[in-house]
Amino acid sequence: MNPYQSYDAKIIEIRELTSREKLFTLRFTDREVEESFTFKPGQFVVVDLRGYGEFPISLCSPPTRKPIQLCIRRTGRLTRFIHKFSEGESIGIRGPYGNGFPLEKMEGANLILVAGGLGMAPLRSVLWYAIDTGKFEKIYLFYGTKSYEDILFRDEIIYLLKHGEKLNCHVKLAYEVETPSCIYLEKGFSEKVCKGVVTDLFRGEEFDVNNSYALICGPPVMYKFVIRELLDRGLSPGRIYMTLERRMKCGIGKCGHCVVGTSVSMKYICKDGPVFTYWDALSTRGLI
Amino acid sequence: MRYVKLPAENFSTFFETLKQLGKIYGPVKHNSTYTFIQVDNVKELSLDYTRTILPPKKFFVKPRDELFKLKREKWEEVKDGESFVLFGVHSCDIHGLKILDKVYLRDPPDPYYKSRRENAFIVGISCMPDEYCFCKSLGTDFAMDGFDLFLHKLPDGWLVRVGSVKGHEVVWENQELFEEVTEEDLRHFKEFEEKRAKAFKRSLNKEGLADILDLAFNSQVWKKYAEKCLGCGNCTLVCPTCRCYEVCDNWIRAYEVVRERRYDSCFMPTHGLVAGGHNFRPTRLDRFRHRYYCKSYFDPSAGFNCVGCGRCDEFCPAKIEHVRVLEEVREELL
Ligand SMILES: Cc1cc2nc3c(=O)[nH]c(=O)nc-3n(C[C@H](O)[C@H](O)[C@H](O)COP(=O)(O)OP(=O)(O)OC[C@H]3O[C@@H](n4cnc5c(N)ncnc54)[C@H](O)[C@@H]3O)c2cc1C
Ligand code: SF4
Ligand code: SF4
Ligand code: FES
Repeated sequence: MNPYQSYDAKIIEIRELTSREKLFTLRFTDREVEESFTFKPGQFVVVDLRGYGEFPISLCSPPTRKPIQLCIRRTGRLTRFIHKFSEGESIGIRGPYGNGFPLEKMEGANLILVAGGLGMAPLRSVLWYAIDTGKFEKIYLFYGTKSYEDILFRDEIIYLLKHGEKLNCHVKLAYEVETPSCIYLEKGFSEKVCKGVVTDLFRGEEFDVNNSYALICGPPVMYKFVIRELLDRGLSPGRIYMTLERRMKCGIGKCGHCVVGTSVSMKYICKDGPVFTYWDALSTRGLI
Repeated sequence: MRYVKLPAENFSTFFETLKQLGKIYGPVKHNSTYTFIQVDNVKELSLDYTRTILPPKKFFVKPRDELFKLKREKWEEVKDGESFVLFGVHSCDIHGLKILDKVYLRDPPDPYYKSRRENAFIVGISCMPDEYCFCKSLGTDFAMDGFDLFLHKLPDGWLVRVGSVKGHEVVWENQELFEEVTEEDLRHFKEFEEKRAKAFKRSLNKEGLADILDLAFNSQVWKKYAEKCLGCGNCTLVCPTCRCYEVCDNWIRAYEVVRERRYDSCFMPTHGLVAGGHNFRPTRLDRFRHRYYCKSYFDPSAGFNCVGCGRCDEFCPAKIEHVRVLEEVREELL
């Protein structure tokens, strides 16, 4: 089997999440592939727009649910193109790639998910996996967004703001741009929604650092601040996990684009990652 | 290792028999440089060449490489299963291929590279270093494996080391061309190797190099050279262990697309560019330093990613010298 060859997948549903992001629900045309496709939260696939190119996208649905879903932001040439696709059309998918979050290791512990913007996409996979399996102590989700209009999976987030505690899931939201909808949301959930950045959501929160793992995903600038917050609370660098992004072409450690590090430690984000611990970042220059 | 002798008078017959294995590519002189191209007659070969511009990686990771063709909305794999002979490969380049193997053959193997590796018959050849070579310091001046046959120059022919079953078969099937190795041949072989070892003018001190470079991340030396560097990427294109590639889909006619990969270089500003215009290596300094880190990455199981072939020095228009940069970084730190 040629590892660069993608499988045919049919777009069975397209949902507009925001003005820039769409959620694509996909089913592999080949039944065997559809049934055998498994993955771990934090892994990604390469989307193949045959004749136009390929790009990496995180799986944003949990492995506990089928069919698979991808949340794609329109930012450039290929993502603009896929936003023009309609339901019923086909694309190519290869993967899954990367290591994913080592969730088996975290069973029984608290999960602190920290998402910034589009970082919500891979963490949604963890979120629903954790809720579906019920194998974790308590799930925290701290989500920082630009404005109400930019909240990804808004219906799910609002549902969890309302009913999360019943599912052992504590959700908080920070927004940066004040709009009437945000103010309205803040009124409804005064304890959980505030104006500010994602680190503001840590205020007043207590968690047992010896039985918690943090899972972070967001824009490059976010990591430093979130990690500082977690370290200050005493969380060990080995318990802080983050998923990183780089330019990627192959996804399997050949093309060299995602390589980071120095003479003592080189890592492929696509193969050794995209999930790394903060300890990895301390020992591999250029990771964050 | 099996050793046999190929007397000088049998050399061209030996070359002719190799044609049974496929097309033969060997080093040929072009003005003042050398290239590996198809050779039909021994006379075309320049066996005492120094180095080719592009290393033999070009036969395995091609400068432009077709992966798939889109036919009726389905990808069809492009296959090129022809056997071929690479004649006259230097030890450093054989080590270069072994470093590429570590990347391209590890799980999941790259099928294009893998089939070309399997289809290649590699004949190594002994060489004399010039002012750019520093393979001896990296231990890549002698190949113990990675070839089918290796020819070592003797006054009256060649001492042949047989490195694989395929190589053995060629010798077996053409027994009449070979002779037993004598004590005298071995003495000549040893003399040549000693003379060669003394001929190296350049050396790299690799003692603790990986750690020193890591500590010297903010060294002024990187800055100094990054300012001299033109960012042309020549050094990466000619390097036998550089392998970055870019992929693109090309429409060749109305309903036909070729997905092709081609050499990319970490010196190009787009190398670390992602969507939204964010660049993980925005400056020339970031890119310059990255190459040195990549080449000097020390893998405990494989050593460095540089084989000391001297190409990056010879073909750098800014005359930046690899060893010199590393030595200066070391000096500044210590
Ligand atoms: C592991 C991983 C997971 C990702 N998950 C998501 C996700 O869930 N949702 C989402 O919307 N986006 C995600 N991205 C980002 C997504 O890959 C880019 O938005 C996309 O490649 C942009 O392509 P484009 O052609 O539209 O952009 P352009 O800016 O036009 O890109 C031009 C070229 O640059 C390359 N390129 C640009 N950005 C990237 C990038 N970030 N990574 C790799 N190559 C790039 C592409 O190869 C492309 O051919 C992820 C990226 C990575 C590495
Ligand atoms: S870095 Fe320079 S000397 Fe080393 S293998 Fe590459 S081209 Fe040859
Ligand atoms: S060949 Fe020389 S000038 Fe060109 S990118 Fe390499 S170091 Fe810079
Ligand atoms: S994406 Fe090609 S090496 Fe990582």
